[in-house]
Amino acid sequence: MPSACRNRALALGVALLLAGGVLAAQERFRGRQTREIASTKVTYDGRFAFVRLRYPGGFRRDPGWAHDYPRADWHLQRILAELSLTRTFEDESNIMTADDPDLSLYPVAYMSEPGFWTLTESETTALRAYLQKGGFLIFDDFRGARDWTTLQARMAEVLPGAQWQPLDVSHPVFHSFFDITALVTEGYYGPAEFLGLFEDNDPRKRLMAVANYNHDLGEFWEFSDTGWVPVELSNEAYKYGVNYIIYAMTH
Amino acid sequence: MVEALFRFFFEHSPAMFSQGEIRWAVSSGSLVAAVVTVAAVVLAVVSYRAQSRVPVRARVVLTGLRVALLLLVLACLFRPVLMVRAAVPQQNVVGVLLDDSQSMRIADMDGQPRASYIQSDFGQVGQGALGALSERFAVRVFRFSSTATRTDAGTALAFGGTETRLGAALAAARQELAGLPLAGLVMVSDGADTADAALGEALLGLKAEGVPVFTVGVGRETLDRDIQIGRVTTPRTALKGTTLLVDVVIAQRGYDGAVVTLDVEDEGRLVSSQQVTLPAGGAPATVPVRITVDEPGPRVLRFRVPSQPDELVADNNQRESLIDVRDRREKILYFEGEPRFELKFIRRAVTDDENVEVVALQRTADNKYLRLGVESADELVTGFPKTREELFAYRGLVLGSVEAGAFTGDQLRMIAEFADRRGGGLLALGGHRAFSEGGYAGTAVAEALPVVLDANLRQKEGDVQRLSVRPTRAGAASAVAQIAATEAASTERWTTLPEVTVVNRLGPIKPGATVLLAATDAARAEYPVLTFQRYGRGKAFAFTPQDSWVWQMHASMPVDDLTHENFWRQLLRWVVDEVPDQVEIRTASDRVEPGSTVRFTTTVADKAFVELNDASVTGTITDPGGAVVDVPLTWTGERAGEYAGTFTAAAPGWYEMRVAASRGGETVGTAVAHLRAAAGEQEYFDATLRAGTLRRIAEETGGRYLAAGDTGTLADDLRYTGRGVTTVEEHDLWHMPIVLLLLLGLLSAEWGYRRAVGLP
Repeated sequence: MPSACRNRALALGVALLLAGGVLAAQERFRGRQTREIASTKVTYDGRFAFVRLRYPGGFRRDPGWAHDYPRADWHLQRILAELSLTRTFEDESNIMTADDPDLSLYPVAYMSEPGFWTLTESETTALRAYLQKGGFLIFDDFRGARDWTTLQARMAEVLPGAQWQPLDVSHPVFHSFFDITALVTEGYYGPAEFLGLFEDNDPRKRLMAVANYNHDLGEFWEFSDTGWVPVELSNEAYKYGVNYIIYAMTH
Repeated sequence: MVEALFRFFFEHSPAMFSQGEIRWAVSSGSLVAAVVTVAAVVLAVVSYRAQSRVPVRARVVLTGLRVALLLLVLACLFRPVLMVRAAVPQQNVVGVLLDDSQSMRIADMDGQPRASYIQSDFGQVGQGALGALSERFAVRVFRFSSTATRTDAGTALAFGGTETRLGAALAAARQELAGLPLAGLVMVSDGADTADAALGEALLGLKAEGVPVFTVGVGRETLDRDIQIGRVTTPRTALKGTTLLVDVVIAQRGYDGAVVTLDVEDEGRLVSSQQVTLPAGGAPATVPVRITVDEPGPRVLRFRVPSQPDELVADNNQRESLIDVRDRREKILYFEGEPRFELKFIRRAVTDDENVEVVALQRTADNKYLRLGVESADELVTGFPKTREELFAYRGLVLGSVEAGAFTGDQLRMIAEFADRRGGGLLALGGHRAFSEGGYAGTAVAEALPVVLDANLRQKEGDVQRLSVRPTRAGAASAVAQIAATEAASTERWTTLPEVTVVNRLGPIKPGATVLLAATDAARAEYPVLTFQRYGRGKAFAFTPQDSWVWQMHASMPVDDLTHENFWRQLLRWVVDEVPDQVEIRTASDRVEPGSTVRFTTTVADKAFVELNDASVTGTITDPGGAVVDVPLTWTGERAGEYAGTFTAAAPGWYEMRVAASRGGETVGTAVAHLRAAAGEQEYFDATLRAGTLRRIAEETGGRYLAAGDTGTLADDLRYTGRGVTTVEEHDLWHMPIVLLLLLGLLSAEWGYRRAVGLP
C-alpha cells in the first residue's frame, strides 16, 4: 500500500473510532473518576496485547500509570490490527506490575507518567531482565525536568550505566511501518524530544526503550474517536505507536 | 579333517577326482572273470533258494549280500582307473602372492606375528610350502599390498603396506604371468581387503581364463583382546563455529566393563575427553561426542582411545577424520507474513554469528514489506523473489506465518525447487497463516515438507495448544537438541523449558521424515514440533511453535541463558549445512595414498541451478610444497554438468583443489576443496582373518582355501589343476582302502546274518 493510501487508511481508522466512540468515551471518562482501576490480563495465545505497566503511588483514584486507560490501549491495538497484519487482542489488554512473570509474554510494555514512577527491588530486577532479554519499553505522558529526572533515576536503577540518547528521524524506529520524515517538535506539554536507551549504549544496536519527552501519545490515542483532538495529531500519534511496536517486533 | 579322511579311503585328493575321469582298463582276463563271477552269482542264488528252512526274507538278504560281494570283485577285476592330467614337473608356473601389508604384523598366531608364518612357510627357498612348490613348479613370488610386485623367492618382506587390495593384486599377477603355462595362483593373506572397489571384477578375469586361486588364510578370525575405534561419521564440510555431534563407535573384545578414555583432538589440540564404560558381552559402545569446529580450513580430527594392557592391536585405537571448515557467511532468507516476535528473536539469536546471516523480509501489511539485513537497495525491493536466480542466491529459506495465497503458483514451485533442485534448506515455521491453516495443502510446498498437510485438517480458529517440547530419541542424537554446554545439561534443560504455543494441526509424518522434537498434545498423542526430511538435493524442516521466543523471554529463563540462541544457531546452521554452490568439487575419498592418482569431479550449474555442459572448467592444484599445477577438466558425458580431471598426489600433505568455471566469457563460479595424501591407517582396522573372503576367491576360481599351517597338500593340489603343460596319469582304483573295507564289510555282514538265522 503506498504511503499516501496508508495515511488515508489511518485517517479512516481514526474516523471509524470517532463514529462509535464519543458516547463511550464520555461514559468511560466519567467512570475513571469514580472507581479504582484493577490489574487485568488477557489469556496469552500468541497474539499481540498492549501492556500498561502499573507502579505504586499516584494520587487519589487516578494514578498516573493509568492515564488514558483503557481506550488508548485498545485504540492502538485496533489501529495496529486495521493497518497492519498484526494479530491483536480486541478491547482487552494487560495491566501488569514490572515484576509480574506474565510480562515476559509481551515483549512491548507502555508506561504512562513515569515522572511518578516508583520501583521495588523485585520490579527493578525483573525489568532489567526483561530489557536484557529483548523487551521494549515506551515511556509516555511526562513533562519537564522533574519528571525527566525521575525517569532517568528509575532507569539508572534498572540499567545502571545506561544513557538516554536523543533519537533523530533517521533512526529505524521511525521507519518500521510509517515513514516518518520529520519528528514532532511541539509535544502535548511543550517542545518534544524523543530519547532512547540502546543495548550497550551503542546507537547501532537494539533500541530497548523510547521516551516521548514533553509529549503524550496516549492522550491522542485515547481521544482519537472523540473529536476533541485534531485528527492530524491523532494520526501522527498513531504513527509513532505503530512504529514503536513494529520496531519492537522486528529488532 | 574331511579331506584327510577322503585321502585315507580313496588314496587321492578330492581335487584329482574332480579334475580327472574314471575309466575301465578292461583286459581279456576280465571277461573270463566276468563269466566265472556270473556262474558264482547263479550258484549263490540257487544254493540260497534251496535253504527251505530259512525264511524267505533272510534268503533274499543273504543272496543280495553275496551278489553285491561278487559284483564288487567283478568291478575290481574290470580294473577301474582314474585318468588325471598332472602338471609336468618344472614345466609349469605357480604365482605365489604374499600379503606385505601392515596387518601382517599383528601377533595373533600363538603370540607370533602373521608375518612370521609367511616367512617360515613361504619366505625361504627350499623350505615349507614354498619348498614343496619349488620342487614341482617354477615359482614366481609377488608381494602385494596396494598392488602386486614381483620379488625374488626368499626375499624378506617389509610388511609395511598401508593398503590391502586383493583384487588389484590378483589382476596384476594374472597380467604379469599371462602367456606362461600357469598352473594356478597361491594367495597368502588375512583377506582384510581395504579397497573400495569390489572384488568381483578381478575374479571374473581369473574365472574366464580358468586360473584357480589357492588361498591360505593367515591370522585369527577374532582377536582375544582388542579395542578399535570402529566408526566415526563426520561431515565432509562444516561451517566455522558449528557444533558437531559425532557418534563414535568403540568396538571391543575382552574388555567388558572396562573404563577407557575417549579423546578427540583437532589438529593436535585436545577438544574433548570423556570416560566410557565398555558394555558387556563384547558389544560395541556408541559414544556421542560434541565438537565445535572453530578454526577454518582443512582439519584433521583424531579420535583416540589409549592403548590398553595386553591389547593385541594398538594401531586401531585411533581414527582420523577430515573436515573442511568453511569460514563464510551463509545467507538465509526469512519471509515473515505478519508482524510477530518470532522474527525479532530468531534474528537476534544469530546476530553475533559471523557465519550465518538472516535476511528478513517482513510483510507488515498487504504489499508492504520491511527489509532487514539486505545488502543492496534492490534486494527484495519488490517483495519475495520472483525468479529462481534471485531466490536460489540464498542457501536457506525460512517461511514464517505467511499464507500460500501470498505466492504465485510459480513462486510455490520455486520454493519446492529451492530444496529439491538447488539443494537448499527449507524451514517452515508454525503460525496462524502456516501449513494447512495457511492453505498449503495440495501445493508444491506441501510436497516438500516432511509432514502431510490436509486441507480438511485445520486447527479451529482460536484454539491454541500449549506444549512442553522434548527431543525424541533421534533428536537427542542430533546437534540441534544440544541447547546447553554438555549433553547432560541439554537433557536437563529441555525438561525445564517453558511451554510454547501451537496453532497448526498436522497430518502424519511422511515416510522417510524424522521427528526430532516432539510434545504430547491435549489428546495425549505425540505432536511433532521439529521434523526433518531430505527432499531432492536439499532438506526440509517443519517447526510448528509460533513463539519459540518464550525460550528467551520467559520469566523462568535466566538472563544469561543461551537456550534460544543455541537452538536457533544449531537449527539455522543445519538448514544451510552442505548446501551446494553453483560449482562443487567432489573426490571419491578425502584421503589418498601418497603417489596415487586422484580423480576429482566438479559439477557446474547456472544461477538457476540448471547444469551446464558447455562450461570452460579449469582446476588449479596446489601441492603441500606450494607448487601449482593447472589441470583441465572435461565434461564426463556421464552426468549433466559433471566435469572431471586428474592429478598425482606425489608427496604427503594437503592438496588444495581450486576450480573456476566460466561460460561465454562470464564467470559461473569457483570452488575450493582439500584432499590429504597420507599413509593410511585402515590396515589395522577390522584386521582379523577374513576367511570368508578368501574362501570366496578360491571357490569362484576353482581353487581351494587352506588354513595357515595346513599347506602340506598345496603342491599336490596345484599339480592336478589340469592347467599348463600336463601329462595324463593313470591311477588304479581297485586297491583303494575303501574297496577293501567294502569287501570285508560285505563278507562280515553275510557271515553275521547267516549266524543270526541259524546257518553255519
